[in-house]
Amino acid sequence: MKKVIDFVKPAVILLLVAAVVALVLGLVDMVTRDRIEAIAEQTMNDAMQSVLPAESYEQLDVEPDGEVDAAYEAADDAGWVVQVTEVGSQGTVTMMVGVGSDLACTGISVTDSSETAGLGAIASQASEAGDNFRSQFVGQSGTVAVTKDGGEINALTGATITSRAIAKGVTTALALCETLG
Amino acid sequence: MNAKKQLTEGLITNNPVLVQQIGLCATMAISTTLFNGIGMGLSVLIILTCCNVVVSAIRKIIPEQVRLAIFVVVIAGFVTIVDLLLQAFIPALSSALGVFIPLIVVNCIIIGRAESFSSKEGVFLSFRDGVFQGLGYTCVLVLMCLFRELLGSGTIGGGLLNGASGLITLDGTGAGFRIIPEGFGIGALTLPFGGFLTLGLLMAVMQYALRKSGEKKARKEKEVKE
Amino acid sequence: MFASLVSISLAAILTNNFIFSQFLGICPFLGVSNKMSTATGMSVAVIFVMTMASAICWVINEYLLIPFGVEGFMQTVAYILVIAVLVQFVEMFLKKAIPSLYSAMGIFLPLITTNCAVLGVVLLNTQNTYNFLESLIDGFTGGLGFTVAIVLFASVRERLQFADYPKAFEGFAICLVSAALFALAFMGFSGMKIL
Repeated sequence: MKKVIDFVKPAVILLLVAAVVALVLGLVDMVTRDRIEAIAEQTMNDAMQSVLPAESYEQLDVEPDGEVDAAYEAADDAGWVVQVTEVGSQGTVTMMVGVGSDLACTGISVTDSSETAGLGAIASQASEAGDNFRSQFVGQSGTVAVTKDGGEINALTGATITSRAIAKGVTTALALCETLG
Repeated sequence: MNAKKQLTEGLITNNPVLVQQIGLCATMAISTTLFNGIGMGLSVLIILTCCNVVVSAIRKIIPEQVRLAIFVVVIAGFVTIVDLLLQAFIPALSSALGVFIPLIVVNCIIIGRAESFSSKEGVFLSFRDGVFQGLGYTCVLVLMCLFRELLGSGTIGGGLLNGASGLITLDGTGAGFRIIPEGFGIGALTLPFGGFLTLGLLMAVMQYALRKSGEKKARKEKEVKE
Repeated sequence: MFASLVSISLAAILTNNFIFSQFLGICPFLGVSNKMSTATGMSVAVIFVMTMASAICWVINEYLLIPFGVEGFMQTVAYILVIAVLVQFVEMFLKKAIPSLYSAMGIFLPLITTNCAVLGVVLLNTQNTYNFLESLIDGFTGGLGFTVAIVLFASVRERLQFADYPKAFEGFAICLVSAALFALAFMGFSGMKIL
């Protein structure tokens, strides 16, 4: 009999501790969930506004294919916003690409990347160098490439791979919109 | 055990990173800006203190066989609370630290203190131990951030201070004060390479200092004896 | 499908090596890399646990946490418990079934619970929304990457014993400085991908 208690007691205590922890976490989650969701939506909306300003966006039914994550149609036929993920130098680079109804890029915003700080990371930073780099994509159409590959985009110094990834992402987004438009 | 001794232990003689040499992963990974360093340091401080207090409070009813599992569940609980709160109230910090916030669960400092200190000592002592060890961790992080950020990107307080107005911002947009002109920093220091190198150098400096002070103490004792 | 698996493996072993570019699993890396034999023992244990943990945690997340809508706040707790229990089971199983293997890697098993590379790979699998096969491959090749790093480093450390460096650098300090050079070398792999 004693042996059974010895065996069961630790298990019961562990279970109790886990139950208390789960309860507390559930409470914290209740308090924070709405706020976290609102922040995620806000960030998404800000990114879309920065690449293609519009009243509202409607998500389109696009199958994620490894590059394109999602596509949105802006209100009043202003164009589309496409979320693309490409392989950069240190991992993946996720970006929002705005495409106007004339099938030219209206702006890009890098929302998630783990590129080298000080080199590739400039592409996602809100600095002068970052703005200059991103603004090159505005007005581009068809196939976008860096100067090294015969295109018009000046790659970030020391970050050709990151720049190429972004150029490829923009090309992918433009190609997708051609089929949508 | 008095507070002063505990404080020197946490900060210097038994510093978690430089002397006990645990919890190194996050130390190197996120110490690129002051914002990250202070954020991570304070998160660990809070989690460590809470865990120490809880573990110490329930130390009498924890069965020996499952004590590690219980520590881990308690730690994971507090880590998730801090993670959720950061996501909700300081999202910039949460996205900057990324996966390293949930990874505080396996930060050896916390489970180490639970095992070696708070599961044996009273609640108040454990609370103090958590605060002081957490401070020691934060100090090392801040030192590393200052070094890597200043020499690597040429700024101080990136993400945390708004260079133009000198005010503290929590949305991660502050550019910090520029000390070295852009493009003249040692960029490699912000890479993984710089993390390993900076921590290695700091450890060497610490070992040198501890040895010197140890020799000095030994000399003094000898003089007193003579 | 095949290309994505290959690129995940390539990233896990070289470009995003857990130790040299993501700073995960540094503690066991420094702790057991002083001898080649312990380094290989630890690596085998890590590969095994990482693969198993990736598979089991994916199933738990998909069929337990998400259906109950608690994936936001129970993920970390559930994953670390899975890893702790898994390590315990593996230890018991090996002790009974394959005593020779147990004596080779037994002492490393308890250390793995607090190896952040294991929890790291599981959390990153979820974050990157990998499917079952991708998670499994990521776990396995992540362990391989750990092995590459630790075995390479162990051979350097064996030579460090005969090197003449300042006394203040004794212990982990000189190891970290050597690891820094490794990290720099691994930077050379960045940008590698399957076209």
